Amino acid sequence: MGGVCIVATALEGTLARTSLELVGGARALQPLGLEVSAALLGHGPGLTAAASELHRHGVGVVYRCDHPLLSAGQSDAVLAALQPVVARVRPQVLLVAADTVGREVAPRLAARLRAGLATECVQVEAADGAVVARRQVYGGRALATLVVQARPAVLSVKPHALDVPAPAPVDGRVEDVDVSIDAEALPARVRQVLREQAEFGLEEAQVVIGGGRGLGGPEGLGLLRELAQLMGGAVGASRPPTDAGWVPVSWQIGQTGKTIRPALYIAVGISGATQHIAGVSGSRTIVAINRDPEAPIFSVAHLGIVGDYREVVPALIARVKELKGT
Amino acid sequence: MYLLAFVALAVFAYGVARHVRLWCRGRPAARLRPVGPRLAAVVRHVLAHGRLLVDRVAGAYHFAFFWGFVALFAGTTVVFIHQDLRLRIMQGPFYLYFQSATLDVMGLAATAGVAAALVVRYLLRPPRLRRGVPADALILWLFALILVTGFLVEGLRIAGTADPWAAWSPVGYGVALLVRAVGMSEAAVRFSHAWLWWIHFVLAMAFIAYIPFSKLFHLVLAPLNTYLQPLSTPAAVSLIDFERSERFGASAFTDLTWKDLFDLDVCTECGRCTAVCPASTTGKPLSPMHVILDLRDEMTRSGATAPRLLAGAVVRPEALWACTTCLACMQACPVFIEHVPKIVELRRHLVMEQASLPESMADALRSLEVRGHPFRGAALSRAAWAEGVDVRRLAEGERAEWLLWVGCAAALNERNHPALRALLRALAAAGLEVGILGEEETCSGDPARRIGNEYLFQTLARQNIETLARHGVQKIVTLCPHCYNTFRHEYPQLGGTYEVWHHTQLLARLMQEGRLRPGRTAATVTFHDPCYLGRHNGEYEAPRRVLAAVAAGTVEMAQCREHGFCCGAGGGLYWVEERAGQRVSHVRTRQAAATGAEVVATACPFCLLMLEDAAAALESPARPLDVAELVDRALAQGPEMEMAEGS
Amino acid sequence: MEIIVCLKQVVDPELPARDFAIDPVTQRQVREGRPLVISTYDENALEVGLQLKDRVGGKVTALTLGPAAASGDAIRLALAMGADEAVVVDDPQAPARLGAAKARLLAAAVRRLGHFDLVLCGCESADWVERVVGPLLAEALQAACVTFVSRIEQVNGTLLVRRLADEGFHLVEVRPPAVLSVTSDESNRPRLPKVKDIMTARRKPVHTWPVAEVAPQAGEEGPLEVEVREVALPERTTRCEFLPGDPGEQAAALVQRLRELKLL
Repeated sequence: MGGVCIVATALEGTLARTSLELVGGARALQPLGLEVSAALLGHGPGLTAAASELHRHGVGVVYRCDHPLLSAGQSDAVLAALQPVVARVRPQVLLVAADTVGREVAPRLAARLRAGLATECVQVEAADGAVVARRQVYGGRALATLVVQARPAVLSVKPHALDVPAPAPVDGRVEDVDVSIDAEALPARVRQVLREQAEFGLEEAQVVIGGGRGLGGPEGLGLLRELAQLMGGAVGASRPPTDAGWVPVSWQIGQTGKTIRPALYIAVGISGATQHIAGVSGSRTIVAINRDPEAPIFSVAHLGIVGDYREVVPALIARVKELKGT
Repeated sequence: MYLLAFVALAVFAYGVARHVRLWCRGRPAARLRPVGPRLAAVVRHVLAHGRLLVDRVAGAYHFAFFWGFVALFAGTTVVFIHQDLRLRIMQGPFYLYFQSATLDVMGLAATAGVAAALVVRYLLRPPRLRRGVPADALILWLFALILVTGFLVEGLRIAGTADPWAAWSPVGYGVALLVRAVGMSEAAVRFSHAWLWWIHFVLAMAFIAYIPFSKLFHLVLAPLNTYLQPLSTPAAVSLIDFERSERFGASAFTDLTWKDLFDLDVCTECGRCTAVCPASTTGKPLSPMHVILDLRDEMTRSGATAPRLLAGAVVRPEALWACTTCLACMQACPVFIEHVPKIVELRRHLVMEQASLPESMADALRSLEVRGHPFRGAALSRAAWAEGVDVRRLAEGERAEWLLWVGCAAALNERNHPALRALLRALAAAGLEVGILGEEETCSGDPARRIGNEYLFQTLARQNIETLARHGVQKIVTLCPHCYNTFRHEYPQLGGTYEVWHHTQLLARLMQEGRLRPGRTAATVTFHDPCYLGRHNGEYEAPRRVLAAVAAGTVEMAQCREHGFCCGAGGGLYWVEERAGQRVSHVRTRQAAATGAEVVATACPFCLLMLEDAAAALESPARPLDVAELVDRALAQGPEMEMAEGS
Repeated sequence: MEIIVCLKQVVDPELPARDFAIDPVTQRQVREGRPLVISTYDENALEVGLQLKDRVGGKVTALTLGPAAASGDAIRLALAMGADEAVVVDDPQAPARLGAAKARLLAAAVRRLGHFDLVLCGCESADWVERVVGPLLAEALQAACVTFVSRIEQVNGTLLVRRLADEGFHLVEVRPPAVLSVTSDESNRPRLPKVKDIMTARRKPVHTWPVAEVAPQAGEEGPLEVEVREVALPERTTRCEFLPGDPGEQAAALVQRLRELKLL
């Protein structure tokens, strides 16, 4: 009865990394002295392994919801599956990953439960018996601290914001939840999944890698593209590469090109002409990689690396790969 | 003979009437007064060929056949009066000196002119001339034939009548001698004289009849158009009354003024406009001549109510969006055609009725709407440059005799901040009381107006007029020639009148009055004329006077003053990437570097941004600086240093 | 099709950093003297709604919740772009409210408007980025819900929408009434209004309802309020932090810092 319940998903047969991040969030709430359980959503035999993975990380009871509709972004089905779990567990705190489904499910669940709601959190903790959540506001310019006194509380956590905790195995148990969903009754239903991805528009991408004259030629763009793909971002350019025809005109960022406002902009071999800066000044974090320590780009960058991109970027790619591998 | 003359005149009249009917479909425009300055312009540019002679070669041969034909026409009129009206005026010294000697010489001059034109057209073939237009060649050959037959007729007459005064007509006499030398019989001379006379007459009549159907029409229209030229400002943009208008900008000929339609028929297709256009010469899809010709051909073909959209179907939008509104075309046009106001009218239609314009321009306009400046992504606030600077801030209730109108291009682009601070120091050194509006300033509206969003222009202008009135502003000095032009010529349309100075004008005056005594900097300087200071406002001297006083030496670029070459930013093109051909700013920077000057001075924040960018890209030795920056350096050298520091 | 589009004005997110400030009392961004713009994705929502109306007919109503004095531009733009009428719920407190409270008031306003097939809103607001208004409206109105939609097509009485998803895109079938939150893509770039549209927009009906008139009835469902304890500007050196070492060390340091900033 009560406790912290995380909404874990194994939509593709394996436990999502974000679910383990939620376990980390639940641990941060330990001062509240609450037991941690999980609603595990998915379909198929993979759920068993996913449940033991949760046990291994300290989740006691796993409420297994197994249904074919719990496999690909079916928010209405997820809501339907969660209702009986919530009714049974009556959690004080529900942690949901703010992914495609979580973004829809968390607020709606909070509304149905008359819960306190904080979304897109990057940090959760307990203080004086209350849940304290932090989230970025005003385009990342400020950090808001929210205190959620209400119970239950529904928190959605931004993917990758929390660390995956170290294993802390417990002897847990799995309880199967009877999930009955009338597919035809779902008001919204995913008909098709298009995995065309990755080619994010420059203006939409949350991570943009920009290349400049310093690349020295079109060959350098291969490296940038590899990095962008790893980070789920897009590649753009300042004026010289577009002028030189190394990249299509539509890639140009700046006063006479596109204006971008990503969370992270990495400028590679870009000196930082005002005309380019005008297009990137809305970026939350700017990283500059340039050989010339005097380049004006460093005056707007938050993080700077002075060096040859041909050495720095491959090292960066290796590091990010390493990180993804864990 | 009379019948033929009558038919020719009737055809001529019919041709003219057709055009007049078309012109009358245009909207009204006041272009008839004042008479004095307009007549003076006609004397200067028609009789004295002022503008035509800018191109020395073409100007010279045009001058020759212009005055040749004027004289021959006068001579023909004399003959008509003498023979047909039976007024015996063709006798005595008048006959000898004018009718014989002068006409012969002038005829020869005209022949030489036509011959030169033929040489240019067929041998030199300058790129400005259109190829494959049979009518153009036909006209020249017609000229040549009329002249040759004229001389032949004269020669045959002399040969046939043994004229005692033959020597007074040297060319005709020469022909006569030739005829005699050939040994033609008297009958043959008579016969061929009669025939050639008729041929000459028919050709002359055909010529008259052909005038209104060809570019020969400029014989009549060019002097008129010279008279009708804009006087106060060369590229005035009309004020749209949004409460009353149903249509915004020009989609049909009836949306243009009668003067605009008149313009189209004046064009002689000489190509000078296109030859000097910074867009054309750097490979952009704009040729000012073809804009005029495309419009003219459409009007001739389909009449004033042509169904096709002028902006889009008749003139390609890419052409319209390549214009920097620099006025080089209008300055070059020997017959005073006004290209730029038409381009703006067509843009207005595209922007206000079709909402169709280059995306980055649209973004600039959207930024103007919400932020009051066109520099989206600007990371500076408007008064950032003035931090720690001693200047009165009108927004905070202070008052000042002079308002320094900063302008967005200067306030929001760091490169211009030193120029602003330099100007302020110089004005303070001269003891002027200067204030700024700070955050209350918004764009003057120039980019909106040139891009074609008159609605936005008026919104901004009205708001600024209100702000200026609230602070009791009378005297304005601007860093930016675009703001200067807008305050000077465009705010009065909306009831805002001020004493407006461009900063180079004010600096020149302060130096002349001895209130500012700068020393000299060590640099050799060349001056890049900002189009909105030069051609738009006729100010070429003030910046040069300042530079002559503060620079170690000055040197001019090949294209300077009236013939200055744009930086590429005007007309809203600052916000559009130049994709085709070369960058205008790069061409200009190479010209500056070619002078060997160490500094290319300018007096416009847009020019400075463009030149700075180009100088960096080309690693040009000529460093771009604003005139005010040079004055500031010279002040630091000069005797007024203590005062400058102390104020 | 009856379409209601929610939009609001926020302080320009492109505001220069030095003009950005947090009011120590309200713990919200200082708005005075700052230019207001329409919140980033709201224009896309409007564009999607207008495109749907252009294809299948119907009516688009723009709905905004905010101080009436600071909502005019949004309303004018919406009407100029092609909305048929507009409702301003005049709420001086709106800029300080969180998404849950806003959604409650918007739901009440939608109910007062009567029948609807579709409510559209931006997928997130440019200021608080909570991403809750769409889903909460859907709950309050008992309508279907899809977020991060970029395109909508009507197919045999149902709607087929394209949703931006973690692994690509989902084509989701939705039965109206529905509440969709909209994200941007190249198909829904907001149209530029023509001057004629701007002028005729002045004659379109705009209704201003004091917020008291749309106050939700007691006992209405919805999440509970949470307390905003503090909004803090992160300690950020304006100066660039240079990462030392050889390329390998620099890369490692960068990855480390990006992880700390939650960017990786």
